[in-house]
Amino acid sequence: MSQRPIRIRDVAKVGSESLVILDSQDMISLAPLEQIPLEKPRDKWLESYDFSLDGFSDFDFPKPQTPGDQKKFVQAFLGGLKKLFDPQNNWTFLKALQLSMDYCMRCQTCSEACHTYLASGQQEIYRPTFRSEVLRRIYQNHFTPAGKLLGPLVGADVEVTFETAWRLLELSYRCNLCRRCAAVCPVGVDNALIAREVRKLFSQEMGIAPTELLKKGSRAQLEVGSTTGMNPAGFKDTISFIEEIIEEKTGRNLQIPMDRKGADVLLVHNAGEFLSWPENPAAFAILFDAAGIDYTLSSEMVGYDAVNYGVWFDDVELSRVALQHIQIAKKLGVKKIVVGECGHAHKALCVIADRAFPGDLSVTEMPRESCLPLLRDIVRSGILKLDPQRNNFPVTLHDPCNVVRLMGIVRPQLEILQAVCAQPLREMTPHGVWNYCCGGGSGFAIMDKLNFSEWRNGVSARMKVRQVIDAFQNVLDPEVHKYIVAPCSNCKGTLREAITYYGLKEKFGINYTGLADLIVNAMIDLPRPYLEWEPKI
Amino acid sequence: MTGVFHWFIIFFGWGSILLFVILTVYKIYRIATLPLNLRWEVYPVPHEPKERRTYGGSYMEQTNWAQKPSRPSLLAELGEMVGEIFFLNRVRKYNPYGLWPLSLAMHWGLYLLLAWIALLTAAHWIPIPEPVASVTGGVAFVLGMFGSLGLIVKRATDKSLSLYTAPVDYFNLAFLAAIFGLGLLSWAIGPGFLHHQAYLVSLITFVPAHHPAAVVAMFFTLQIFAIYMPLSKLIHYAMKHFTFTKILWDDAFMVKNSRNDRRIMRQLAYMKDWSAPHIGQGKTWLEDAQRAPAVDQGKQ
Repeated sequence: MSQRPIRIRDVAKVGSESLVILDSQDMISLAPLEQIPLEKPRDKWLESYDFSLDGFSDFDFPKPQTPGDQKKFVQAFLGGLKKLFDPQNNWTFLKALQLSMDYCMRCQTCSEACHTYLASGQQEIYRPTFRSEVLRRIYQNHFTPAGKLLGPLVGADVEVTFETAWRLLELSYRCNLCRRCAAVCPVGVDNALIAREVRKLFSQEMGIAPTELLKKGSRAQLEVGSTTGMNPAGFKDTISFIEEIIEEKTGRNLQIPMDRKGADVLLVHNAGEFLSWPENPAAFAILFDAAGIDYTLSSEMVGYDAVNYGVWFDDVELSRVALQHIQIAKKLGVKKIVVGECGHAHKALCVIADRAFPGDLSVTEMPRESCLPLLRDIVRSGILKLDPQRNNFPVTLHDPCNVVRLMGIVRPQLEILQAVCAQPLREMTPHGVWNYCCGGGSGFAIMDKLNFSEWRNGVSARMKVRQVIDAFQNVLDPEVHKYIVAPCSNCKGTLREAITYYGLKEKFGINYTGLADLIVNAMIDLPRPYLEWEPKI
Repeated sequence: MTGVFHWFIIFFGWGSILLFVILTVYKIYRIATLPLNLRWEVYPVPHEPKERRTYGGSYMEQTNWAQKPSRPSLLAELGEMVGEIFFLNRVRKYNPYGLWPLSLAMHWGLYLLLAWIALLTAAHWIPIPEPVASVTGGVAFVLGMFGSLGLIVKRATDKSLSLYTAPVDYFNLAFLAAIFGLGLLSWAIGPGFLHHQAYLVSLITFVPAHHPAAVVAMFFTLQIFAIYMPLSKLIHYAMKHFTFTKILWDDAFMVKNSRNDRRIMRQLAYMKDWSAPHIGQGKTWLEDAQRAPAVDQGKQ
């Protein structure tokens, strides 16, 4: 890299000039693919929007232009920062935040755990500690006696300009929150948490978050019923459509149970599956029917969409959505909630919301579980007649961070693949709890305003593309059809986009699928293969 | 005047220990009394049974896990922590900047320094062969000096480290180097560690005595460090307990009517005053979460 080395305090540089210029030539190689140059922001965007971090942004709303507005922006930012350290306002994560802010030893052990930092060719601004250090220095400067008294001597040397605050906002959306960095930290400091807390500050104090996550995300889910914009009537229509798909693909005339009181299981899918990959909820219906699982879906608002985007940026939205999920399950009188193939929904409902709701809403009163152990048990039970030869193609597994590293669910999906695939699994390196994020984690999969998707495909998904190519290294012939199995909607969405961006399907014959789809594909009593190389939808 | 100074040495010695304890307890108390955080664990979690721990699995790999007994292995957790404290395992495995040998030397310099003090003091009352304390002290000072100076040089010369290293970080390392350096100097003046032992015995028995300047300087620096350490991030050794066992490894799920259950009940009554338009103003966390979705937007 020929650019001047970045210093932490450079984030305060006034003006709209980007701190770094990204060049794909500096990034890790994706050989045998050629490096694809990253597209620059369009000229017409530069007048209205801010690209002053790295030339990329998802924030499609005009930046404050007048000094007065910029001053208000900075004041609101500092007000929010103060609230982050207040027990009443941030009881949810204050302990973790305080420890991570105060006890980072700046050893940089976390750096090489970060796929974005590595894939970008070690761009300083993507180092896990860079954004944390910016926040830490601002915090010290404004809120700690040592920082106020000793300033730069204790590192409190970052001036808070409008540009500082804005670049910090952008920086918080350059981390996938995969928390691989936290897993290697010798002190247990969590730089991903700090990124999330910055996001939270902007959302909860200033109402600023990517449109896809707040306005069209959690707000839409709570107002309309789903982040997809699908209301309950639309959901019921979609289920009828999925029943038709099942009949068409399998010849089975199934009626997917809906709002059935007293069922054993409330199954909740990421609603994006119904629209983008209806074969996946259809596969669940086929499997549960064949296995005799007593389950139901809910058609109540929020109840048919497992997503909980608040887990990425806003504790209030997180708690609102999670509470709806649990209350709907209580109302139906089910014995437990099972979350479909959606990683962040797994973590939100099973782990984070676990400690948000006491008493009758606690997990002992309304258990919340992953679908993966249940699918594993179904496959193991022998109730399904499965022929691995039906899945006789090279397969690799993408481990969703939320499911493996953040929940410790590692083996069920492996055991399923061993049971339903003819060829040995081609493990990625690294895999399991040490996997790399797909690059779409923490909302990036659905963020596509301005030129953000270019950054996701070119930078944050880059390491995963490298891993996929490596996993299929000796079978890259496009005539040999290969699948990446990704039991997570957002991972699938990211892989879909990356496969298109890099032309992996045409050049190497690489496609992707969900896990339930692959199990159904192995069922011998189906008239034809369930997986379709060229999806109809 | 000399007598006053000798008494000052004793009182300052005890005062520094007292302040160290008070400040450490205060810092731990402040963190321990922060609200119970939401679950935010990262796997591998070492207290899982061995068959799962090896690959980072959790109890959530089972169906109906909330109804199954969970027996976290505190011994395994302790083992992981011991590996971190005494061998800096994560630095060894993952740090790409060659910090491990230097950091290990500095940490062991400190551990052996404490052991040396304990041995030297105990040797006044119980028979401990003289070389044991001498070797411990000598190794402590040499290792500590090598580690702390090495870390200063490393941090100053490696761009990836220097960018993030504030003057206070160099100060902390220089402080440690001063202790180890004075230790070496006072040892060199000799004879052996006899004067150091006399200093410690004088402190413990409250009998004022004259000590060589180098010995006094070394112990003074160490005592000032003991007061400073809890106020700095060097107290991370104690905070690791919280970052690991209370956050990264805390996978305990909520049980109705448990202590955590009651704590969360209280915390949900906290009033929040976040200002964004989508946040309910003047409401507790519980009230805000409970609002029916469409009520927020005035359309049901």
